[in-house]
Amino acid sequence: MTAERLPAAQTPDEEETLPGRRGGLDFLGTLTIAWRAILGSPLRSVLTALGVIIGVAAVIALTAIGSGSTAGITKSLESLGTNLLTVQSGAPRFGGGGLVRGGPQQTITMKDVEAIGTFAPNRIAGVAPSSQSNVQAKVGSSNLQATVIGTWPAYETVRNSPVATGSFFTQDDVDGRKRVAVVGYQIVTDLFDGQDPVGQKIRLGNVSFTIVGTLPDKGNTGFGNPNAQVLVPLSTFQQRLSRGARSGTSVTVSNVYVQATDKDDLTNLQNDLTDLLARQHRIEDASSYDFNVQNQADALASLNATTQTLTLLVGAIAGISLVVGGIGIMNIMLVSVTERTREIGVRKALGAKPRDILTQFLVEASLLSVGGGLVGLALGVGCAYLGTLVNITPVFSPATILVAFAFSALVGIFFGYYPASRAARLDPVDSLRYE
Amino acid sequence: MSDLVLSLRAVEKTYLTGDVEFQALRGVDLDVRAGEMLALMGPSGSGKTTLMQIIGLLDRPTEGTYLLGGRDVTDLTENERAEARNREIGFVFQAFHLLPRLDLLENVEVPLTYAGIPAYERRERALEMLDRVGLASKARNLPSQISGGQKQRVAVARALAGRPRLLLADEPTGNLDTRTSEEIMALFTELNGEGTTVVIVTHEPDIAEYTRRVVRVRDGLVESDTTHTPRAGVRT
Ligand SMILES: Nc1ncnc2c1ncn2[C@@H]1O[C@H](COP(=O)(O)OP(=O)(O)O)[C@@H](O)[C@H]1O
Ligand SMILES: [Mg+2]
Repeated sequence: MTAERLPAAQTPDEEETLPGRRGGLDFLGTLTIAWRAILGSPLRSVLTALGVIIGVAAVIALTAIGSGSTAGITKSLESLGTNLLTVQSGAPRFGGGGLVRGGPQQTITMKDVEAIGTFAPNRIAGVAPSSQSNVQAKVGSSNLQATVIGTWPAYETVRNSPVATGSFFTQDDVDGRKRVAVVGYQIVTDLFDGQDPVGQKIRLGNVSFTIVGTLPDKGNTGFGNPNAQVLVPLSTFQQRLSRGARSGTSVTVSNVYVQATDKDDLTNLQNDLTDLLARQHRIEDASSYDFNVQNQADALASLNATTQTLTLLVGAIAGISLVVGGIGIMNIMLVSVTERTREIGVRKALGAKPRDILTQFLVEASLLSVGGGLVGLALGVGCAYLGTLVNITPVFSPATILVAFAFSALVGIFFGYYPASRAARLDPVDSLRYE
Repeated sequence: MSDLVLSLRAVEKTYLTGDVEFQALRGVDLDVRAGEMLALMGPSGSGKTTLMQIIGLLDRPTEGTYLLGGRDVTDLTENERAEARNREIGFVFQAFHLLPRLDLLENVEVPLTYAGIPAYERRERALEMLDRVGLASKARNLPSQISGGQKQRVAVARALAGRPRLLLADEPTGNLDTRTSEEIMALFTELNGEGTTVVIVTHEPDIAEYTRRVVRVRDGLVESDTTHTPRAGVRT
């Protein structure tokens, strides 16, 4: 058949001097062998790596959505104003739940507001008492349900709410109980077709107001709908829009926003204002306070604490799923070693050392888990972007991605080691005989 | 003697299955000179495969000494044995034992891979070997796509790719029909004619006719060691 092409004569005891003869199996060779084994049974490989894929995808997606929503809440908390203390009616609640409105009867009087205003002028940058009610806003024949807030001009800086057009109402407007209003973005778009309404009239309830300024688009996120707000002088509000909320003989407000001059003074100021109000209300026992002073930093801190707990939980879930994924890899690798006993025997007969076989199966397990990690990474990023459907922009942390990825590689090596060493220890004679 | 490829002295092999000992080899002496081609014959269970595994450094003798190419290889470590198998010995098995997921070229490359030969040279040499057994055109086929005789040719190419001093074939024609068996034996005869030392295990007298020397084994002992004129290789 091919006799003419048989090898040239070769002296049997000729010394072999082939390049690389002693070097053994190179890494690329190992990688190729492992890669071929994985491609050889793609479905099984995917199923083997599934645990790792899901584990990594879960970590990436959950942490990204978690930090995304935290970032969102932090931003909206900070947009409420900086160095902010909020004085509210009702007993203090711990755990920073200062975002719940309504509820207890109003106990903060205008006298309290006055006391706060004169308490420590150099430590307080601004005081803005506020009362609010939901009122129908009407222009011509169009109307919408607006949240009318009666407050002071300091609201603009204290609550970080500058106007987009026109100007804020002034102290004169408050003193003169003027019927002027600063309207939210949705009033402009829905009642004025997006035209600048400064100078125009708007009816709030039964009272006609002149618009002096507009607020920018604050996004329909956060709490309530800030775009449906209308800001008016507190005095006007109390005279014409509120049902005369009172405590004893004093007019009351929903809450008082206080901006501290110095961020570091925030906690001290919070304590001092609490003492002040306790004196004002003649209450000695802290457990019977009918008011509370919320610190924005508290809310942020408790948010951060919650986030950290969540992160730990996610980490634990991820760790567990990666371990489960690792056990999956170990399981399938053990089956694979048994199935490939003959192959291992043949390879050993052809010169594979135990170490070569060990490396082959270890590399295979690591490739599976690293590949699973990569697929999981892609899947996790994809899933995280599903968060945008509910207005959460995912925030990816390179550290998390790196850790999840490194961990998945380690899982492969760790759980691949036992099957690999079993393969490496197989006796060549027994494995060649294996059916 | 320096041209002795292998030399076994008083080699014994005792298998232990549970508590039961079985002595498969009971003191074998065997010398094979470079360039020889010999047939190891004997009835089933006589210890031929056991002897082959010891010669091929897949297994160790329980007693006795083994010199391979003048070197005492009786007490090599596992790694040294792997290296010696890789460098000095080529195996051909009855069941071919090609790796099913690798194509023919890659199969032939396997021993070269473990020798640490770089990829391009590996490829070149494997292709050369495939060409020498007449299967270069099927280099990219999988083992499942070729016939039994072709598989055994690939196995021979793989065994010789690392240029070993000794080719060991355990019942290489056991799974082949008569005609294909003759082709494979012709191939061995040609390789031997070019200098490779060949040891063939068989229980078929027809096959033993191809070799000059016939060593008969029975119950773990060498029963006879004879020389005769071999039948010429059959060409197809
Ligand atoms: N791994 C083993 N464990 C126990 N007994 C074995 C083993 N391998 C072979 N034997 C026994 O040793 C004897 C010789 O076997 P073997 O060398 O395979 O014979 P042959 O190849 O001549 O048919 C047989 O009786 C067989 O059952
Ligand atoms: Mg046998």
